Amino acid sequence: MRRKTVPYILIIPLLIAFFAFIGFPLYKVFETSFYKASFLNPLARQFVGIENYKWLFNFCYPNPDVSYFLMAFGRSLLWVACSVILKVILGLLAALLFDSPYLIGKKVYRSLIIIPWAIPWAMAAMMWAWTLNPEFGIFNSILLRLGVISSPTSFLASPSAAFITTFVIDAWAGLPFMIIMFLSGLQSIPGSLYEAARLDGASEIRQLFKITIPMIKPVMLTVSLLSMVWTFNSFDIIWVLTQGGPLRATETLPIAIYNTSFRMMRFGGIGKASAMTIAQVLLITLISIFYIKTMRESDKA
Amino acid sequence: MRRRHSRVIKKVVYQILAIFFVAFMLLPIYQMLVTALRPADLPWQAPAPLFPDKITLKNFSHAFQLVPRLPRYLLNSFIYGIGVSLLSIAIAIPSGYALARYKFTIRKPLMIFVIYANMFAPIMLLVPIYTIMKTIGIIDTYFSVILAGSIFTIPLSTWLTVSYMQTIPKEIEEAGFVDGCNQFNVINRVVLPLMAPALVAIFIYSFITGWSQQFILALVLIKNDKLMPIAQGLYQFFSRSSVRWNELMAAILLSTAIPIFLFLLVQKYIVKGLTSGSIK
Repeated sequence: MRRKTVPYILIIPLLIAFFAFIGFPLYKVFETSFYKASFLNPLARQFVGIENYKWLFNFCYPNPDVSYFLMAFGRSLLWVACSVILKVILGLLAALLFDSPYLIGKKVYRSLIIIPWAIPWAMAAMMWAWTLNPEFGIFNSILLRLGVISSPTSFLASPSAAFITTFVIDAWAGLPFMIIMFLSGLQSIPGSLYEAARLDGASEIRQLFKITIPMIKPVMLTVSLLSMVWTFNSFDIIWVLTQGGPLRATETLPIAIYNTSFRMMRFGGIGKASAMTIAQVLLITLISIFYIKTMRESDKA
Repeated sequence: MRRRHSRVIKKVVYQILAIFFVAFMLLPIYQMLVTALRPADLPWQAPAPLFPDKITLKNFSHAFQLVPRLPRYLLNSFIYGIGVSLLSIAIAIPSGYALARYKFTIRKPLMIFVIYANMFAPIMLLVPIYTIMKTIGIIDTYFSVILAGSIFTIPLSTWLTVSYMQTIPKEIEEAGFVDGCNQFNVINRVVLPLMAPALVAIFIYSFITGWSQQFILALVLIKNDKLMPIAQGLYQFFSRSSVRWNELMAAILLSTAIPIFLFLLVQKYIVKGLTSGSIK
């Protein structure tokens, strides 16, 4: 057998999988977005041109001024921004803390904080729902005892509280990954840099801003982009905690896609859901392009 | 003297911060443990006691009464996990090896597509997956979730293989060629044994993903209670108006213990694979 053909034989399964599992479904989403169609009878469909895309911008529900899609899209952007910023800041602080020479028992802490990573999101969200229970949950109990709140508070009942709670819990779920990645970034910084700085009499704060942060910037960038993608795709946690409520306050784009395709058939079925999905795919593609670019740059370096 | 003083203060402050942070990360797990171990007939207290007042193991057996299909759900999750990981390995190992070892025309675009495909989540392909599965008539079968679930584990599995192979020197295989083995013999006798650690990591990674992260896929593809994976099965008992928290938490504890353990075993490999490896 010729050496040249060997790699092609080896990658055939991957090519088939990519074509059948990603390429073809993606093409289907694109195609369906130009049709009026329903799950009940996917074959009886009707070509409607760009009607579904127009629908994205002129279907105003429940807010009469802003379209349903744009509301969900904007909500997604805000929700993802809050969650990712929280993950990056807390992740960096935690990594610095767990890497600090002043901390005793680093290994124990490190193995404890990665446990949430292993819990399926849907189940983690169920655990959180009970932890946040206004009457009998332990979170309220702690806050009451510390005097932070004076009466039992529900963290999922009001729209703004639910919005904050869901992105904080999403950050909680994503933090272990962040911390582990930042820790491995911190450990790759040569110790000699710090020694030199110490000899020059640089303070620890100065070392942080002049050595640590510039050195882990590449890691921070790639990890943030990766986390952004995951957060944009986040579904389970919101679904289990609020199902997009109350009053659609947590209805991000993935929840809206699910609702449009599977729950609110009167919204217009899978053609419109497909048009929304295209928006989601474009968004993820855009971030992926940045991600791949930063990866290639760090390859060159 | 003053310096030593400030060092002591720093040590104390850092220790307190670390404890607070770990407490936040483990709070729901603590809540789950306390609830799962608390007698179900004991009335709830408001505000909840911070430490367990009474301990029992009865909830674990009662969990099987509350959720009669608990063993079945666990078995289903196991089947989904095994199915997804076998499919991922079958595809990722040969292609990951080819991408790491051979230079061929479409290598670079394919590598980039692997990274891009890793960004995909079920929500982005939910509508076509449902339509396709319905058209070919495999909705409400194990096969549908296994196929759909593999879509999202194959890219990272391939990437893990590539980045693992990049750490192994080529010379080992070249020695095999010198000894007169042909391509596939070398892969069989030399490469596969070398790849054992990567194989284990990929298996466990995709097994856990297949086992546990199929919530949205199963929500859409599985309507038959007998085929539900554990997360979806338990979700039915969570979305009721009155939740039996003690038994539910015991059930969650029972069903997450093994995956957590497995995950902790391989997380080093996954992190390594994610941080190393290059497109070059």
